[in-house]
Amino acid sequence: MQNPIAPLLDSANRIILGKQHQIRLALCCLLARGHLLIEDIPGVGKTTLAHTLAKLLGLNYQRIQFTSDILPSDIIGASIFDPEDRSFKFHPGPIFNQMILADEINRSTPKAQSALLEAMEEQQVTVEGKTYRLPSPFFVIATQNPAHQIGTFPLPESQLDRFLMRIELGYPDRNAERELLSGQSRYHLIENLKTELPPEPLKNIQQQVNTVHVSSALLDYMQNIITFTREFPDYPCGLSPRAGLSLLNAAKAWAFMDSRDAVLPEDVQAVLPAVAGHRLRSASQDSAAVVAPILERVNVL
Amino acid sequence: MPVDIEKNILLFLLISVGLIALPHIYHIPASTFGFFALLLAWRFIGIWKPSCLPGKFLLFLLTVGGLVLLYSQHQGLFGRDAGTRLFMTALALKLLEIKQERDLYLIVFLAFIVAASQFLYEQSIAMAGYILFVCCVLLGTLVAINSRRQNTLNALKTAAVILAQALPLAIVLFVFFPRVEAPRWMLFEDKSRAKTGLSDSMEPGSISDLSFSDELVFRVRFQGQIPPNRLRYWRGPVFSVTDGKRWTAAKHYTYTAAAEPDFSEPAYRYTLLLEPQNNNWVFALEMAGDYPPQLRMNSEYLLTRSGNPDKRAEYPITSYPSYRTGTLEAHKLRTNTQLPGPTSQKITSLVKRLGGFDKRPEQFVDRVLQHFNQENFSYTLTPPLMENNPIETFLFETRSGFCSHYAAAFTYLMRVANIPARVVTGYHGGVLNPVGNFLEIRQADAHAWTEVWLKNRGWVRVDPTAAVAPERIEQNVNIEQQIASRNISFFSADSDLARQLDWLKQARQLWSSVDYNWQRWVINYHSANQTQFLASLGIESLKQMLFWLIGLGALFTAILSWLLLSRKEKTADKVLRCYRRFCARLGKAGLKRKAGEGPIDFAKRSKEAYPDQAAAIDEITGLFIKLRYQKESSQADLNRLSERVDRLKIRRR
Amino acid sequence: MNTLSLKDRFRLSRFFAGEKPSDEAILLNQRRIFILPSKRGLSFVVLILLLLLIAFVYNNNLAYFLTFLLASVFFIGILHSYKALAGLLIRKGQCKPVFAGERAVFQIHIDNPTPVPRPSLEIDLYDKTQTTLEPYEKKTARLYAPTEHRGHQTCGTITLSSGYPLGLFRAWSPLRFNLSVLVYPKPWPQEIPFPETGGGSSDQGKTEKGTDDFYGLQEYQRGDSIKRIHWKAYAKGQGLFSKQYSGEQGDELWLHYEASAGYGNEERLSRLCRWVLDAEKAGLRYGLKLPGQKIGLGIGPAHLTQCLEALALF
Repeated sequence: MQNPIAPLLDSANRIILGKQHQIRLALCCLLARGHLLIEDIPGVGKTTLAHTLAKLLGLNYQRIQFTSDILPSDIIGASIFDPEDRSFKFHPGPIFNQMILADEINRSTPKAQSALLEAMEEQQVTVEGKTYRLPSPFFVIATQNPAHQIGTFPLPESQLDRFLMRIELGYPDRNAERELLSGQSRYHLIENLKTELPPEPLKNIQQQVNTVHVSSALLDYMQNIITFTREFPDYPCGLSPRAGLSLLNAAKAWAFMDSRDAVLPEDVQAVLPAVAGHRLRSASQDSAAVVAPILERVNVL
Repeated sequence: MPVDIEKNILLFLLISVGLIALPHIYHIPASTFGFFALLLAWRFIGIWKPSCLPGKFLLFLLTVGGLVLLYSQHQGLFGRDAGTRLFMTALALKLLEIKQERDLYLIVFLAFIVAASQFLYEQSIAMAGYILFVCCVLLGTLVAINSRRQNTLNALKTAAVILAQALPLAIVLFVFFPRVEAPRWMLFEDKSRAKTGLSDSMEPGSISDLSFSDELVFRVRFQGQIPPNRLRYWRGPVFSVTDGKRWTAAKHYTYTAAAEPDFSEPAYRYTLLLEPQNNNWVFALEMAGDYPPQLRMNSEYLLTRSGNPDKRAEYPITSYPSYRTGTLEAHKLRTNTQLPGPTSQKITSLVKRLGGFDKRPEQFVDRVLQHFNQENFSYTLTPPLMENNPIETFLFETRSGFCSHYAAAFTYLMRVANIPARVVTGYHGGVLNPVGNFLEIRQADAHAWTEVWLKNRGWVRVDPTAAVAPERIEQNVNIEQQIASRNISFFSADSDLARQLDWLKQARQLWSSVDYNWQRWVINYHSANQTQFLASLGIESLKQMLFWLIGLGALFTAILSWLLLSRKEKTADKVLRCYRRFCARLGKAGLKRKAGEGPIDFAKRSKEAYPDQAAAIDEITGLFIKLRYQKESSQADLNRLSERVDRLKIRRR
Repeated sequence: MNTLSLKDRFRLSRFFAGEKPSDEAILLNQRRIFILPSKRGLSFVVLILLLLLIAFVYNNNLAYFLTFLLASVFFIGILHSYKALAGLLIRKGQCKPVFAGERAVFQIHIDNPTPVPRPSLEIDLYDKTQTTLEPYEKKTARLYAPTEHRGHQTCGTITLSSGYPLGLFRAWSPLRFNLSVLVYPKPWPQEIPFPETGGGSSDQGKTEKGTDDFYGLQEYQRGDSIKRIHWKAYAKGQGLFSKQYSGEQGDELWLHYEASAGYGNEERLSRLCRWVLDAEKAGLRYGLKLPGQKIGLGIGPAHLTQCLEALALF
C-alpha cells in the first residue's frame, strides 16, 4: 500500500525546513483527531506550519489572533438583531472552519480561552440555547508563548488536557536557516501548494487509524507507563484515563504513519513526549526531559 | 482492648476444638466430657448470640464447678487421666472467655496439648491420621487469624502446605532425636489403671492388636551358663478356668502349696532383678527349685512374693529345666479338663480326625501341632476380632493370631480329648545385654503357652506358637523383625492358597502388614529399637546421632528454602521467554537491553554492534514483533523464533 | 546502596532504623528483612517443651511425633515469614504540603511483583495501617504523621511488618526514604484585619485606573460597582455580570514581616500566613515582604504556594 501520508509529509518538509519530526507529530495528531498546541517563542514558524497543513489537507483555514480584549463572541459568533426579519440572527464566528489557528492563545483572558476550548471538546457551540455543529474535520492548532513572557494567562492544567499533543518547534538548524534566508518567501510557497489529502480520504484514513491492532502486551506496557506516572514522586499528578486514551490514539496514528497494522512500544515512546509532556505538571517544561524517566524505567517487555 | 474476632474464625476454631476433643468421649468420665460439650455448645450459640455468653460471675461459678468436678473424681493433678481432664476443663472454660487474639492462641495451644493426650490412650494409624488432620485445622485457624483475607479454605490450604513441608523435618527429628527412658519418679501413673503386660486373665478373641511396649520387666544375671532360648520360659500366672472366651486362674487353690516336682540336672543359678510391678508374681525360669524364703510357690508352680510389688526386688533362684511333677488330684483333673459347655460338632470332628479319642495323648499333641503347622495357620500381632465363640472362629475361619490364641485353642482341643491342659502365661526369651552380661526381659517378650498333663511325666510344657512361628522359640530372634523382613510367611509352604486369595483378603493382609510396621517402627521406636536401627545405619554414638540430626535437618531446610524462596518468576508467555533468551545471549556478549528499550531500538543497536548478525537479528525481532504485537501469528512463527534464537551465534567483543 | 561495610551491616540500628534514606525503590530481600519470634512464638516454644515433656514421661512416640511436627512447623515458620515480605518493591510516593498541626500524608507505593499473595501486611509510621496484597497487585498506602513545626519534615522510618502465616514470628523491614513534607506555619487562629499598607490609597486606584481597556465579563460579586454592571446582558436575562477592565489592578496588599511588631518570630509568620490565606480568599493581589526576601504582587494558587513556601522556610 502506497502510504498516502508520504507525499503530504514531503511537501510539508519542503516548506518548513528541518522540522520533520514536529511535522510528523502534527500530522499524527490530526490523524488521531486531536488538537495540537504549539508552544514556542514568536517567529519560529508556528503559523507557517498551521497554514501549510491546512493547505495540504484542503481545509478551510482561519486564523484567530488572540488578544487580551478578545471576547468569546469574537470567536464563536454572536446573534445580531436583523432589522429586516425583526429577529436575532446568528452570525457564526471564525470557529466555524475546519482548521483553526488560535494564535497566542495565552494572551487572551481565561474567558475567551475557555470558549474555544469548550467548542474544541464538544465539537459544537451553543449560543443562546441553540446548538450549532462545527464542521468536520475540525482541527485546532493553538500556539502559546512561553509562560514567562509578560502579559500572558497560561492555560490552566485542566485545559491543557484537551490538547492531544503539545510540541515545541525550536530554532531551525544552521542549514535550514540558510535555506530559509536564501530561498523564496514561505508565503508564496504556501499559496502555490496543492491539496495532497482532501477531507474525504482524510476521514478514511482516520477510520483506518482506529483499526490499527493493539495487542494485550502493548496495553500492558501502556498501563505500566500510566501507573508509573501516578506513582513517580516527581509528577504531582499522573496521567488521567483520558490521557491514556489519547496516548493510545496517538500511538495508533503513529503506527499507521509508519505503515504498520499494529502498535509497537516504539510508537508509544515516539508520541509520549508530545502527548504526556504537558499533562504531567512537572517542574521541567521540556517535554522530552519530563518523560525521560518513563522511557528509561518502565520496562517494555 | 477487646478485638473483634471474625465469626468464621471462631467457627473454625470451635469446630477444630470439638474435633480434637471428640475421641476423649471414650477416655474420660461422662461428667467431664459433658461439661466440656456443654460449654462448647454454649460458645457455639454465643457466636450468633453474643449476649448469651456468661458474664464474669457466671464464669467464676463455672470455673468453680469445673474444679469441683475434677476434685470429685479424686484424680489429683498429675497422671494421664487427671492431666487430660484438667486440660479439657481448662480448654472448655477458656472457650467462654475469648476477648482478644491472645485468647485464641491460648485455646489453640491447649488444643494441641489435648491432641497429644489422645495419643496416650490410642496410638493407631487412624488416630494419628485424625489428629494430623485436626492439627491442620488448628494451624489453619492460626493462619486465618493472621490473614486479613476472609477465606478460610485458603487458610486451611496454607496450613496443609506448611504441615506437609514440616513433615520431612519432623521425621528426621523423630528418627534421630535421642530417646531416653524417663526415670521412674517422673511417671505419674494412675493406681487404678492396669499396666501393660501380664494380667490376671486372658481373652484372646477380644484383642485385635497387641502393642508391645519396650518397658523392662526384669533382668536376669546367670552364674555360669545361660540356658538356650528354647528353654527360656519365665513362668507367670496360670489359667485353667474358661468360659469359652475368657481364661482365668482357678481361684480356690492358687495359694495352696504345690508338691515339689522331681528335678534333674542341669541347674541354672541366677539372680532375678525385678522391676516394679503391678502384681506380686515373680517370673522364674521353669521350673524353680530353690528360692529365697520370702517367696512362695503356689500349686501352679508360680512364685509369688509378699509385700509391695511397686518396689524393685532381687532374688537368687535356681531352676531346673527338666522336671517331673507328680500325680494329678481329682479336683485338679476336673478343673483342667473343664469345658465351658457342650463342644460343637465341628471341633469334635476335628479332634476325632486328629485322633483325640483313640490315639495316645502324646500322639494327639503331636498331631494337633502338626495341624497348626501344616494347615495355613499364621502368626500375626494384629488378628481380626473374634467376638463370639473365639476358639471355633480361630480354628476354622481366621486361623491367624498370636500366642494367646494358639495357647487357648490348643488347651481347648486337649480338654475335648479329655487330656488335662492349661494355659501358662509369662515371658519368653529375653535379649542378652553383652555389656552387663545379663538378659533383659521386656513387656514385648510376653508370651502364652500350654501345659498338658501326661501320665508318667506330669505337667509337660507344649508351645503351640512354636509350631507356627518356630523362629520365635528356637532362635534368639525377635519375631516382629522376622515378620517385618518377610522371613516368615503368613502362610505355610502351600503358596497355591495364597494365589487363590481374593483381593479383599490381600488388602486385609496388606493392611495388617502396614499396621504391623506401624506398631514396629512408629509406636515401638524406643531407645532399644532406635539404637538398633541407627546402628544398622552405622550410627552408633550419641555424637554421631546429633551430627546426623543436625546435618539432615540442615539439608531439608536448605532444600525447602530453595523451593520456597528462589522461585524465579517464570513467564508463562513462551514468546517472551524466547525473546528474553535472545536478549540474554546479547547481554552475555556485552550488549544489555535497557529496561525502556523497545525491540526495534534494541535491534538497531545490536545490528550496529554485530553487523554480521544483522539478518538474524532482524528476523528474530520481526518474528517477535509479529508474535507479540500483531494481530495474527501462528505456532510456526513461534517455533521459528525459538529455533532462530537457538541458532544465533554472538561472539564476545 | 550495596556497598555496606561489614561494620555497617552489623550495626544494631539497622534492625530498627533501616539503612540510609533512599530515593529509589527498595526491594525487600534478606538484607532488608529481619525476623524474630513474637511473644506468641515464644509461648509456642513453651508449648513444644511441654509436649516434649509429656512425650518423654509417657514414652509415647506419637506424642513425640506431634511435638517434632510442631517444632518443624515453628522452624519452617521462619521461612514462611520471610516469604511474607520477600520480593516486595516499595517506592516512595509524594506528599503535599500541610499547615503545622495538621497531619501530613506520606504516600508509599507497595508493589507485589510476585505470584505470592500477601494476606497480612502492617505498615507502621505513627499509626499502624494494615493491608493485603494479591499477586501482582500494587497499592498505595497513605501514612499519616503529625506535624508541629514549620519547615521540611522528613518522613521517619517506616516499618513494614507481617506476622503471616502463623503469627509465631514477626518479619519486619525498616524503610527510610528521602521523603519530606513541607510544613507551612500554622495560620493565626483568629481572624485579624489586614495590615495598613503604607500610603495605601488603594480605593482611589481602583476607580481611577483601568477604566479604559475593556477586558471581559465576570460574574457579579457583591461589592462590585453598579456602574460596571453589564446591563445589556442583564436585559437579555443572562444574569448579572460586571465589566472588567484590563488596567485594573484590584486591591493591592503588601504583607510586611514588620507589620506584626511585638510578636515573636513564629507568631509573626503565623499571622502572615493567615493574611496570605485570607488575601487569596478575598481575591486581593498581595505581596510578601520578609527580611531579605520579597515576593511581588500576585494572586492565584501558584503565587499562594510561593508565599507559603517562603513563610515555611523563613
